[in-house]
Amino acid sequence: MTELATMEFHPQPQAGEARPWAFPAPGRGTLGNGLTVLRCHRPGQQVVAVEVLVDAPLEAEPAGLDGVATIMARAFSEGTDKHSAEEFAAELERCGATLDAHADHPCVRLSLEVPVSRLPKALGLLADALRAPAFSDSEIERLVRNRLDEIPHETANPARRSAKQLYKELFPAASRMSRPRQGTEETVAKIDAAAVRAFYEKHVRPATATAVVVGDLTGVDLDALLGDTLGAWTGSSAEPRPVPPVSADDTGRVVIVDRPGAVQTQLLIGRIGADRHDRVWAAQVLGTYCLGGTLTSRLDRVLREEKGYTYGVRAFGQVLRSAPDGTGAALLAISGSFDTPNTGPALEDLWKVLRTLAAEGLTDAERDVAVQNLVGVAPLKYETAAAVASTLADQVEQHLPDDYQATLYRQLAATGTVEATAAAVNAFPVDRLVTVLVGDAATIEEPVRALGIGEVTVVPAE
Amino acid sequence: MPMGHTATAEAGSGGLTATEHRLANGLRVVLSEDHLTPVAAVCLWYDVGSRHEVKGRTGLAHLFEHLMFQGSGQVKGNGHFELVQGAGGSLNGTTSFERTNYFETMPTHQLELALWLEADRMGSLLAALDDESMENQRDVVKNERRQRYDNVPYGTAFEKLTALAYPAGHPYHHTPIGSMADLDAATLEDARAFFRTYYAPNNAVLSVVGDIDPEETLAWVEKYFGSIAGHDGKPAPRSGALPDVIGEELREVVVEEVPARALMAAYRLPEDGTRACDAADLALTVLGGGESSRLYNRLVRRDRTAVAAGFGLLRLAGAPSLGWLDVKTSADVEVPVIEAAVDEELARFATEGPTAEEMERAQAQLEREWLDRLGTVAGRADELCRFAVLFGDPQLALTAVQRVLDVTAEEVQQAAKDRLRPDNRAVLVYEPLTADTDTDEEAAK
Repeated sequence: MTELATMEFHPQPQAGEARPWAFPAPGRGTLGNGLTVLRCHRPGQQVVAVEVLVDAPLEAEPAGLDGVATIMARAFSEGTDKHSAEEFAAELERCGATLDAHADHPCVRLSLEVPVSRLPKALGLLADALRAPAFSDSEIERLVRNRLDEIPHETANPARRSAKQLYKELFPAASRMSRPRQGTEETVAKIDAAAVRAFYEKHVRPATATAVVVGDLTGVDLDALLGDTLGAWTGSSAEPRPVPPVSADDTGRVVIVDRPGAVQTQLLIGRIGADRHDRVWAAQVLGTYCLGGTLTSRLDRVLREEKGYTYGVRAFGQVLRSAPDGTGAALLAISGSFDTPNTGPALEDLWKVLRTLAAEGLTDAERDVAVQNLVGVAPLKYETAAAVASTLADQVEQHLPDDYQATLYRQLAATGTVEATAAAVNAFPVDRLVTVLVGDAATIEEPVRALGIGEVTVVPAE
Repeated sequence: MPMGHTATAEAGSGGLTATEHRLANGLRVVLSEDHLTPVAAVCLWYDVGSRHEVKGRTGLAHLFEHLMFQGSGQVKGNGHFELVQGAGGSLNGTTSFERTNYFETMPTHQLELALWLEADRMGSLLAALDDESMENQRDVVKNERRQRYDNVPYGTAFEKLTALAYPAGHPYHHTPIGSMADLDAATLEDARAFFRTYYAPNNAVLSVVGDIDPEETLAWVEKYFGSIAGHDGKPAPRSGALPDVIGEELREVVVEEVPARALMAAYRLPEDGTRACDAADLALTVLGGGESSRLYNRLVRRDRTAVAAGFGLLRLAGAPSLGWLDVKTSADVEVPVIEAAVDEELARFATEGPTAEEMERAQAQLEREWLDRLGTVAGRADELCRFAVLFGDPQLALTAVQRVLDVTAEEVQQAAKDRLRPDNRAVLVYEPLTADTDTDEEAAK
C-alpha cells in the first residue's frame, strides 16, 4: 500500500552560484627563542585555538618506558613554577579554557581553546606549562597510577582492543608502533618523575617546536602577547630528529580476540600505505571514500542498507608518521561491528565488495559525488578555529607545506575515476589485509575460517 | 504569510539576531543571518520523542527517524543522503526523549536543495515507506543498540538509571533506543500511524541559519512547505510531572563483566528553562565539571580512589532534569569509600555554598560551552529550534548564556541544598564479575 501525498510537488532545485571559499593561508614566523609560529585570523571565531607541537615522538621514549611521553604530556597541566596542580587546573578553568595534551608517534601535541577575551591569561598558563612544568614526584606518581587504572577499561572496550591487536600484528616487535601508544602495565609502572624530567630535558625545547594560533584576532597584539608568554620559554638549539621509516607485515591473515558471549564482533582490517607526501594521496582519499566514506559508499550500501548487518562500516586512511623524504606511512583501515551470528556472512560480503571493486572499478557517477562531497564540505568543515588549527598542525607534524590543504582540494577536483579506482584497489588488496575480530570465538571462528581469507588464530582478550 | 519582527541584538546575545515567522499551515520558521562563511544550516525539530511512545513500542520514534532517510515522494532510496552529500553538505538526525531533529549544513548555494528535501519527506514520506526499508532499518537499529549499549562495558547504565529515576509508566522511564523486544514488535502500520500523528508542519519548527538572504529563504520555505497540510491529530503527551524530590534513595547493584567498580547516580533536578535549572547546572559544574571541581580534587587528586569522577546535567523540559554522577574506582577501592566521600562533599557544599572563585570558574566554563554551541551555524540552528519547541521562544537561545551568568551563589547553594541529597537520587553500583562470583547472587537485584 502506498499513500498519495497531498502536497504540491516541485522539481528538484538547481544549485545557485557557488561563493568563493579557500582554505586559509597562515602567516609564518619565528620567535627569538626559535619557536616557529603559524597564525591565522578567522573573523567571528571568538574561541581561539592554539596548538603546540613538540618534537618528542614516541620512538624517542627510552627502552622499557613506553608511556613516558604520555605521562609527560599529561603532567604539563599538573603544576608549574607558579601554580600547584590544583591551582593550575583552576586558573585554566577560570579562563573558560580547555587544555588537552597527548603523545603520538610524530610528536607531543598540546591543544588550548579559550575565548579570545581571556587569551592572554591562557597563553601565559600554556607557556608556564611548557617552560617550567613542576613534574612533582607526587603528581607523577598519581598520573602513573591513574594511567594504570585506565588500561583495563581500554582492554574491555572492543574498538580499543581491536586497535591494540592490529598494531601488534602489523608492525615488527622492535618497532615502537607495534606497542600501545600510552604504554602497557609493565612499562607504565616503571615511570617516575626522574624519567619524565629526563625525557623533558632531552626533547622539549622551543627551537624544535611550533605553535599554531587561530581565531578572531581583531585587536589582539599577538606579537607582544607571544613575546610575553611562549617567547619567554628558553632552551638549547637542536636539529629536528631524523624520522625512521615505517614497515609492516600485511600478509593476509585473521586474528580473533576472544570475547566469549559478545553480542557483536568488532572488526578492524588494516595495512599500511601511502601518506600525504605520495602523489597518490588525493586518489587514495577519493577511492577510500567511494569504498567506505559514508552511508552511501559501497560497503554500507550492502552491509548496512541492504543487509542490516551493521550500524555502519567505514574505510579510512590515517597518517601514522610522515618524513620530509616521503618515507612515512598511513594506516589504511576498515572498521565497524557486526552482530555475532552474521559475522561470517558480513565478512563474505565485505570481501565480495572489495573483489567487485577490483574487477569492475568505480563509476564516474561515484567519483563525481565523492569529489563534490570531499571538496564541497570544506567551508563547513573549517568553520571553527579549532578545525583550522588542527589541520595546520597536522601539516606541520607531517612536514607538509602550509598551503598543502588548499592544494589537496585542487588535486581532488582533478582526480579521475581510473586513478581513484587504482588507488582504492591498491590500498585494499584482498590478499594483503590483516583482519582483527574482537568477538565470540566459539561462534565466529568456524564461519570465518570457511571464508578462506587467511590463516585464522584465536587469542585471549586479556 | 505574516512576517515576524526584525529583532535587534539583545544584551548578552553576542550580536546574534533571529526573526520568527509562521506559515499558514502552522510551520514555525526561525531565520538568523550570518555572512562570515558561505554556509547555511537547516534544522527541523519535530515535537515528538521517546516520551510520546506507548507501552510495547519503545524505540519507535528513533526507528522512525531512520525511516525518514529511506526515501520520500520524489526522493529515491538513499537519496536524502546522496543528494546532500553530493552537494557538499552534511546531514543527520537524532532522537531524544523530547524531540526528533533533522539537520543539514550546506554550502550557501545549495541551501534550496536542503529545504526541498526536508519538505518532501514532511509531506510525502508514506509514498516511499515500505516493508523492505522497515525490515532493513529494524536490523540496523538493533545493531546500533548492540554497538552503543549492549556490547560495551557500562553500556546500559543510562538505561538502567533512567528506569530507576523515573517510575514505571512514566513517559521518561525508558530511553529512546528502546528494547530489542519492542523493536522486533514494531510494524509498518505502527510507523505509518506514527508519521500521520506527529509529522505535521504545525508540530515542527524549522530554522535556517548562516549566509542567507532572509526574504529569498522565506520564499523557498513557503514554496516547498506551504502546501503541506497541518493537522491536529496529535494526542497531548502524558504528563512528566513528579514531586521535586524522590523522597528515598533508590538503588540497584549490577554484577557484570566490567573492568572496574563504578558508582553512578541520577539526582532529580528542576526542569530545563527555569532559573533553578541553571543554578543546578552551576552547582554540578562546581562539584563535578572539569579537573578543578570538588569531586575531581577529592577523589582523583587527593584520595586517589577514582580513575575518573564527574557530574553532568541532562536538561529536560517535560520532566525533572537529571544530575548525572559517574565515578569509576581506582584499583581495589570499594564503592562505599567513594560514596562516603561524595556524600561528605555534597553535604559540605550545601552548607558552605560555592566560593566566589568557584562561581567565576563555573560560569566561565558554561559561557565557553555556549560560545562553542553558538559558534557554528549548525549549533545555532539547533539551539533556536530547541528554545522554540520546548519554550515557545527561539530568542531565548541568544540570551541563555546571560541567564547563566546572572545566577547568584546563594541560588547555587540553594539548588544543592534542595536537590543534591541522598533521598533524591537513584544509585547504580557496578561490581565486576569475578571467577568466584555466584551468578545467581540475589544481591544483584
